[in-house]
Amino acid sequence: MNEHRARSRAPDRAANPGLRRPCALGAALLGAVLALTGCGGDAGSGGSASARPVVTVWADDQRAAALKDFARTFGEKYGARVSVQAVSKDLQTNFVTASQAGEGPDVVVGANDWIGNLVQNGAIDPVRLSTSQRDSLEPRAVKAVTFNGQTYGMPYALENVALIRNTALVPDAPATIEEAVAVGQRLKGEGKVSEIMSVPVGQAGDAYHAYALYSQAGGYLFGRDAQGEYNPADLGLGTEASVRALEKFRALGEKGVGALKRTIGPDNAIPTFTTGKAPFLISGPWAVPDIKKAGIAYDIQAVPRFEGTGGKGGPFIGVQAFYVAAKAKNKALAQEFVAQAGGSERTAIALTEANPRPPALKAALAHFKDSNPDLGKFLAAGADGVIQPAIPQMNVVWDPFGKAEAAIIGGAPVRSTVVSLTRAVAGQIGLDPDKAVRFAGAPATTNHPAAGKD
Amino acid sequence: MATPIPPAVPHPTGPSPSRRRGGVAHRVGWWRHAVALLCAVFALIPIVFVVSAAFNPRGTLGSTTLWPSGAGLENFRKLFTSTDYGRWFGNSLLISAAAGALSMFASACGAYAFSRFRFRGRRAGMTGLLLVQMFPQFLAVVAIYLMFTWITARYPGIGFNTSWALILLYMGGALGANTWLMKGFFDTVPKSLDESAKVDGASHAQVFFTIMLPLVSPVLAVTGLLSFIGTMNEFLLANIFLTDPEAKTLAVGLYGMIQEGNRDANFGLFCAGSLLMAIPIVALFLYLQRFIVSGLTSGAVKG
Amino acid sequence: MTVPPRKPLGNPLGTPLGSAGVLAKALLLGLALALAIWGAFPLVEHRDWLALAVLVAATVLIFWGYLSPRRIPAKYLLPGTVFLIAFQVLPILYTVSTAFTNFGDGHRGSKESAIHSIEEASVSPVPGTPDYRLNLAVPQGSSPADGPLVLVLTDPATGKERAARADTGTVTDLPSRATLTVLTDPQAARRGAELAALRIADGPGHIRTEGLERAYVGAPARSYDASSDTLRDATTGTVWKADGTTGTFVTDDGERISSGWRVGVGLGNFADVLTNPTISRYFGQTLLWNIAFAVLTVLITFVLGLFVALSLHHPRMRGRWFYRALLILPYAMPAFAMLMVWADMFNKDFGLINRLFGLDVNWLGEPWTARAAVLLVQLWMGYPYMFLVATGALQAVPDEVKEAARVDGAGRWTILRKVTLPLVLVALFPLLIASFAFNFNNFNAIYLTTAGGPFPPDSPMAGATDLLITYTYRLAFGGQGAQYGLAAAISLFIFVIVAVISLVSFRRARAMEEVNG
Repeated sequence: MNEHRARSRAPDRAANPGLRRPCALGAALLGAVLALTGCGGDAGSGGSASARPVVTVWADDQRAAALKDFARTFGEKYGARVSVQAVSKDLQTNFVTASQAGEGPDVVVGANDWIGNLVQNGAIDPVRLSTSQRDSLEPRAVKAVTFNGQTYGMPYALENVALIRNTALVPDAPATIEEAVAVGQRLKGEGKVSEIMSVPVGQAGDAYHAYALYSQAGGYLFGRDAQGEYNPADLGLGTEASVRALEKFRALGEKGVGALKRTIGPDNAIPTFTTGKAPFLISGPWAVPDIKKAGIAYDIQAVPRFEGTGGKGGPFIGVQAFYVAAKAKNKALAQEFVAQAGGSERTAIALTEANPRPPALKAALAHFKDSNPDLGKFLAAGADGVIQPAIPQMNVVWDPFGKAEAAIIGGAPVRSTVVSLTRAVAGQIGLDPDKAVRFAGAPATTNHPAAGKD
Repeated sequence: MATPIPPAVPHPTGPSPSRRRGGVAHRVGWWRHAVALLCAVFALIPIVFVVSAAFNPRGTLGSTTLWPSGAGLENFRKLFTSTDYGRWFGNSLLISAAAGALSMFASACGAYAFSRFRFRGRRAGMTGLLLVQMFPQFLAVVAIYLMFTWITARYPGIGFNTSWALILLYMGGALGANTWLMKGFFDTVPKSLDESAKVDGASHAQVFFTIMLPLVSPVLAVTGLLSFIGTMNEFLLANIFLTDPEAKTLAVGLYGMIQEGNRDANFGLFCAGSLLMAIPIVALFLYLQRFIVSGLTSGAVKG
Repeated sequence: MTVPPRKPLGNPLGTPLGSAGVLAKALLLGLALALAIWGAFPLVEHRDWLALAVLVAATVLIFWGYLSPRRIPAKYLLPGTVFLIAFQVLPILYTVSTAFTNFGDGHRGSKESAIHSIEEASVSPVPGTPDYRLNLAVPQGSSPADGPLVLVLTDPATGKERAARADTGTVTDLPSRATLTVLTDPQAARRGAELAALRIADGPGHIRTEGLERAYVGAPARSYDASSDTLRDATTGTVWKADGTTGTFVTDDGERISSGWRVGVGLGNFADVLTNPTISRYFGQTLLWNIAFAVLTVLITFVLGLFVALSLHHPRMRGRWFYRALLILPYAMPAFAMLMVWADMFNKDFGLINRLFGLDVNWLGEPWTARAAVLLVQLWMGYPYMFLVATGALQAVPDEVKEAARVDGAGRWTILRKVTLPLVLVALFPLLIASFAFNFNNFNAIYLTTAGGPFPPDSPMAGATDLLITYTYRLAFGGQGAQYGLAAAISLFIFVIVAVISLVSFRRARAMEEVNG
């Protein structure tokens, strides 16, 4: 090899100690680079921080964008720097992690079902609503942010799913699910659509959307005590009502009429509707901008009941709220931000315009009565709905319930699937799996060892 | 194909490498093109979908087909007017270039030590590197976060929402990721080369910088490229470390575009952003290709 | 295609470094010292004596290491190792240590912080006290920036005002604001942190503020009593006893407060892993698929990558650079974007693959097709990587060796089989092991495509494409919040398994390394 010979002709240079350790040079170079930038950064940020108060807000991308205007106004009023930061993924987990380290934002925007977990980790402080604040808000929104007798957030919007239909294809609102399916089948037969309806299911199921149908078919997830609080000991999954409700899913599923299918999931449910492939869509207010953009004529109604059931079910009502971080650096200013962001009509209107869902502030809802009737319709569609439980046990249910839904829609036998589902959930929330299955004729369970750990 | 040789270097073995290679090479078989084309099609199918959505001004997830139904640069324009795309791009380039270059150097040093020296703890060290890589990162995030909280309080210039925080972190992973790759290549360079150099009086540093590194320049280029790509795509840590919109990287910014509620509407925008993101990577590859494929290492004769 | 002259990396050929090298080294070591000194200031300021000691020791180590003529390997390992230890090893050790605790949601902090947050969360306005309007002020003449805060409390019902002074802790009636300077909004905002921490006793509770414009008299319903180590709710009379073994407050009849603290549980998490039937029931099946997934991923990406590299490894082939640029595109595109597109392509009813080939396969809905789909996506995403390293490895195979074989009469196929491939394998075998180890835990590959699915109807916990890592994730994070302790314990088990597999392979790698000598 040529090169080493070329170099090896100069052995005298090798004796020079300075040549010996270029790696040392490399390491020092690294250090130098770090030192330079480190110093630079230090000088830049150190000076201004103490003078101007800072409010850092974490929200998801959509809400972060919607909050920009309010943040600017608020910052000007209080001489503060309000930094609205979008955390695109794992917002809740990241917030808890940051809070544990004493870092993180001063204000967080998120759904009401986070409250249980945020409270048990000491990540948020109660937001004490004044009487006038309470009166100005939709009562269900206040109830949703109430946990252990305290209000923990400033609610600003409600959301729930509804049945959205393409009025060009279906002029009249169906009264029952069966009616909707019949219309869908007819349109499919005529070749006007390719799907009977578009309901997000996916391979892993979608418990949130499924719940609207599940409850209309008579099922429930957790019972409630006399005060209307969720009772984690009353797991509704293992009841006869649950089996009957899921039988309906199976009948609507791939081995049945084919109205529910796993190939329509959270990613493509809305596009399936906006491209005119399906006459019905079960979705929430977030679908509306896409539908409008696609130029589809639509109307919104509650998810209808099934024939022969009472129809007292309803969708989950989720509430979006502002929370004050327990580790907020300037807590008084953070509380003020939360109170004003949720309490001002102007802000509520701006937030609703940026991100149309029914506002929690009554005055703002009234403002949109004529200009955006959709908001009222969604609220009406949730009239019989229940507030999404904030109890930590609910987190255990989402995933297995969704998977059981997907399996049953795919044609799995209902009873045995419900038994496995119930046992798995019961085991995780500390209930006796054997007692959690409460319907007659449940398949033998001896081959499933108890999953509870005591 | 000519392979220029530094003129000062006498050629020990007579015939020039180009002629020798010419002797080995045969006619270019058609099958080579067939394989390349087939694989290119395989590589491109999902990407055509992205291209189609990016150029479709009404590009939504639902309306996108393999063949574009419309064409325009609307999405690209919006990228730079309605998002911080340019800044994200700059951040990503800075972080990836710095982390890529630094990690390439650190792993080359490490690989040299592991390949050429026999010292106590060598095998334990290599095994350790492998094991460290196996640990699930989502678990370590909490610890890393705690650590950077400590650092941010003391050195805000290299703390949260700075590019340096990520560069430091990626440096930590660099040794594990690439040292194994490099060591394998270092092992293929015959030991007799450096030994004879040492006999001639060259120091270990001279051997490293003037013999080993040039000989393994293809793998240096590969490693640099791989770290660059890996850092461009890294999401988990960047997502929690960079919350300030000004500090975000492309991966974090792009992911944010297709969050729930926006996924359909922003899909075209997102695809446009993804396509542009591939440009520096492909450009870097094309630039490095001459090192990867230079063939200069073919001079390394065993013995 | 012509190849430009190589630019030598590192030291240019034959240029004497001599005095310049000494100078550069002195300069850089000096910079390292400067860096250490810069780093020391904040540590002194924060009184982090331990960290300062580590910093001094590290600096001494660097100087000692690089100034001494011995310990040559250490000089090369030091730059990477420093970062490795700081940002990989330490976090891992910390995490491993959590395997012996109940660390997780509800058990994240200390007992003190749990008590604090329980007490704070139980604060409510004292009945009968007004919801005051608040103005902030300082005594006239003192600075709005740091004068003693005075809370001007206005009862909205009567309009009467009271003044609560922060420095004296007294609350008095305030007939007139004349003696005070009321702060403007920005002035008040700057003192927000101070304000929120203020507790001025007033009657049965303390004056507390909510934002900058409201105040109330609040008292906590729950309070901790250190002597009995209990927590008592004054309104309901419930008493919770601190349970030091589980890190929770619990009543005699077993009701717990969800805010707990972190305690050591010894080997409890490991016992859980071994005895939990949900884990043991699916462990074997998941492990088998996990091994198959990792092995197959490495195998198919390597075979295709090497094959393509070989195909393009021809000096006179036209358009090589173009093909190569196209081929690395899958690796260049953001992975999460492409995984989404792939998931879409596998859709049974709407997906491209079924439409293109006229199939009706429920790819992601059946165990074996889902596994095939996952592997296909892995192949697509992974072969550019293998292609790149294989190209590099092929370049490193000396032509002289092939030439020698050719002279000895070997054909192209024989040269490839007997000369080229063995050399390429020597170069890449360590990488393949590392790649196996990586893919064994390739969380994203599964989580972003199938999320472990499809799931058999009788088991919502373990899906057909689940790896141990995604399965762990679901067990530890899918339930009632994150259980880091349990997850760390399961991870340690997985870790041991992968380590054993990899080390056995590593022995083979070592054997190959010795061949090359």
